[in-house]
Amino acid sequence: MEIVRIEDLKIYYKLIDGVAKAVDGVSIKVYPNEILGIAGESGSGKTTMVNGLVRLVKPPAYIAGGSITVNYGENGIPKEVNLLRISENEMRNLRWSFISYIPQASMNSLNPLLRVKDQMMDVIRERSNKSKEEALTLLPELLKRVNLSPQVLDMYPHELSGGMKQRTIIAMALALSPKIVIADEPTTALDVVSQLSVLSTLYDVCRKSKTSLVLITHDMAVHAQLTDRVAIMYAGKIVEVGRTADVFKSPIHPYTKGLIASIPTIENGGKRLEGISGIAPSPKNWPTGCRFHPRCPKATDKCRGAEPSMVEYEEGHFVACFHPEVKK
Amino acid sequence: MKKAYVDRNLIAGSIIIAFIIFLAVFQPWLNKLIIGGHNPMTASFFGRYEPPSLKHLLGTDYVCRDVLALLLLGLKSSLLVGVVAGTLSTLMGIIVGFIAGYKGGIVDSILIGTTDTFLVIPSFPILLTLSAYVKKLDVFSMGVILMIFSWPFSARVIRSRVMSFKNAGYIELAKLNNMSDLEIIFLEILPNIVPFLGVGFGQSVVASMLAATGLEVIGLGLSGVITLGTMINNAIGTGALSMGQWNIVFPPIIVLMMVFIGVQLINMGLESTFNPRLRR
Amino acid sequence: MTILLEAKDITKIFPLDKGRKLKAVDKVSFSFSKENAKILSLVGESGSGKTTIARMILGLLPPTEGNVYFLGEDIYLMNEREKKEYRRHVQAVFQDPYGIYNPFYRVDRALELPIKKFKLGSSKSEARDMIERALEAVGLRPRDVMGKYPHQLSGGERQRIMLARLYLLKPQLIVADEPISMIDAALRALFLNILLDFKNNYGISCLFITHDLSSAYYLGGEVIVLYKGKAVEKGEVAEVLRNPRHPYTNLLIKALLPTDPSKKILTSLGAEIGLKDDNSMAGEGCPFAGRCPKASDICNKEVPLPVKINENHEVRCFH
Repeated sequence: MEIVRIEDLKIYYKLIDGVAKAVDGVSIKVYPNEILGIAGESGSGKTTMVNGLVRLVKPPAYIAGGSITVNYGENGIPKEVNLLRISENEMRNLRWSFISYIPQASMNSLNPLLRVKDQMMDVIRERSNKSKEEALTLLPELLKRVNLSPQVLDMYPHELSGGMKQRTIIAMALALSPKIVIADEPTTALDVVSQLSVLSTLYDVCRKSKTSLVLITHDMAVHAQLTDRVAIMYAGKIVEVGRTADVFKSPIHPYTKGLIASIPTIENGGKRLEGISGIAPSPKNWPTGCRFHPRCPKATDKCRGAEPSMVEYEEGHFVACFHPEVKK
Repeated sequence: MKKAYVDRNLIAGSIIIAFIIFLAVFQPWLNKLIIGGHNPMTASFFGRYEPPSLKHLLGTDYVCRDVLALLLLGLKSSLLVGVVAGTLSTLMGIIVGFIAGYKGGIVDSILIGTTDTFLVIPSFPILLTLSAYVKKLDVFSMGVILMIFSWPFSARVIRSRVMSFKNAGYIELAKLNNMSDLEIIFLEILPNIVPFLGVGFGQSVVASMLAATGLEVIGLGLSGVITLGTMINNAIGTGALSMGQWNIVFPPIIVLMMVFIGVQLINMGLESTFNPRLRR
Repeated sequence: MTILLEAKDITKIFPLDKGRKLKAVDKVSFSFSKENAKILSLVGESGSGKTTIARMILGLLPPTEGNVYFLGEDIYLMNEREKKEYRRHVQAVFQDPYGIYNPFYRVDRALELPIKKFKLGSSKSEARDMIERALEAVGLRPRDVMGKYPHQLSGGERQRIMLARLYLLKPQLIVADEPISMIDAALRALFLNILLDFKNNYGISCLFITHDLSSAYYLGGEVIVLYKGKAVEKGEVAEVLRNPRHPYTNLLIKALLPTDPSKKILTSLGAEIGLKDDNSMAGEGCPFAGRCPKASDICNKEVPLPVKINENHEVRCFH
């Protein structure tokens, strides 16, 4: 029984010279205790989609259709609610305690004037009934979960390295034991070693507390390492989704293949990288039919004319393409 | 060649300011039209406080002077004071700001220290004292006095602009293209600063006009010349306000507002033109 | 063999407040030959001094100690004519595809200026032809980008135009400072391939600065691993990756995420790497001593001298 069910979500931007259809009919489920990756390049709509998921869609963006149903029941008794229908108050109750969000570059959003412990206290006390003393005792434990020493509590953000700041944010996001955490590009500005520590922290913590994680990043290697399932987004739609092992071993959509083939790795042995020809399209003017057709080596007239729908090729592995390359 | 693009605000603001300037420049001829070329400041006893009529479009004041003619003359004087102060102030600001911004280091420290000192001194009391002390206050000396306290603002703004552009990525690229320092200043930095210069000048003029008016309204103004501020002072002093003589009280205020709004619109328009991202 | 560009023991010290100093770069040396084009990657984290080195090589920042020579002449002592020659043949592409454009002008100017300044073309129509061909060579359609302002194009398009600029110039050395970290995966592959083509087809060398070892590996050639401004290991890239000798290099290699989901390293590695957070500045002794699992007393006192492992491989470490 999934904890989040997104159905045909559409989020558009109203611009002066038209409408940008950033998210254009996305459907996906998130199950309990899983790590789901959302992959795709910039402009694919991933960040807009998660903004929708936590209802942080601000003008000029607006919800143009679809629903986000969330199941916050316990012990097998489902209690569903459509996030797009509830009031802001109700939504606020759900944030941090049920669904937590770590936005892009969030390590820069730590208040430089407050010590770490004060900021963490703010979060905890605002969302729960804990008293100041109770909250204070929780903090060292929370930091320990992300491999930070309690000394960090008394430090200011500028005294911490990028990786440490990011881990602090993760600790704050998990403070109230939410059922699902969304992390948008949590390691982009970090160097390789910090990236590793942040990602393994994220992995450990989510697994241990049985929290689901929705991880958005364009870095395919991160998906390979961290996620159980991965969804590939292109031009506002999901083009392929499945178990990470399946998608990487036998990618079916030409875009997925191209993405995986463009990563330089040490294992490739220096083989020539393929890349994907052409340029990413603009959300104001998506191509007709299958949106990938202008860049696809297999495109035919059929692809220009109609949009393919999602078809299940193996268990849990769905692809939207008229010319899938299914390996047997 | 840049595609012609003119912002709506720029057009509106320019029309207003062009009108104001027209009034000021053609004041002598307009004066002829209104009162036959006489000195609008001649006082007399016949026809006090006449309401607006065809002969006197805005009526007359307490010494029978045609208000409209007075207004035009006053506008010309106020504008002159503002322009003198604004020009001197902007020039000073450009020199100090550019040098401090581009050179950096010790030069910058010294210049910015000086600038800050001026910023911190409370200007209005000193302006009061100066203008009360200087016996013969003519347009030029008024301009200089006002300039003393407004140049630091433009200097600071220009300096920070120059500094921010100095470190831009495209400056490094310009150096890689083997452009000389002078070419960089004029071709790379200056085009991005011109809107700020224009804005700075406009703001200086308006600020000076308003400061001058502030002094004049309490009686410390230019001697022997009528300005918008002294008109307001007269209006209050002679009780025109309590007598309901709107034709005497409001025109100078409205004209001042027009100058202010016109300049602001032009600033907004200029910013749009030079910052393509803001264009509608 | 003529030496095209040589950096000899370049060092940069920045004064901080309260009389302290930051040694951003400490005696780094490398060279490029005119005849044999090669790609040299400088690999290091942020704070390792890589961008400072780039700026010293490009003539934008004089070294505190050491020299940079172009065809034998110190670039900071050149006259006008020599400097022009130097600028003609040592060019760059940077990390941020937005700040590199003056927002006042259309993007065409970025391509017109080099033609004008270095007299690459003799007439306006010839210049226009060259520009169109260069844009096509990097996968852009001229009518899609010409006449536009920088904010009207995407980051990928802007970075490609910078590549087109290099195609126009065909300098003998390109300094690329993290050129792919701000663009998408697909464009990264294209970018790396173009750099390789430049070397193979036009004999253009490249100083490739990055934090990503796998791009360095893909480009081949040599690599210098930097930590806090000092070169800790250098050599032919395949050799260094196969046989890393410095603990820091080891750490970097281990931190690379494989794209094979069946090889999961996260769970096993977290603790093993012994990730100690280290914010201190380089002091005396080996810069890595604060984080090194093998550190001993001598590491804190003396800087290790280079030890030759073999023909292509050198390391500075006491262990």
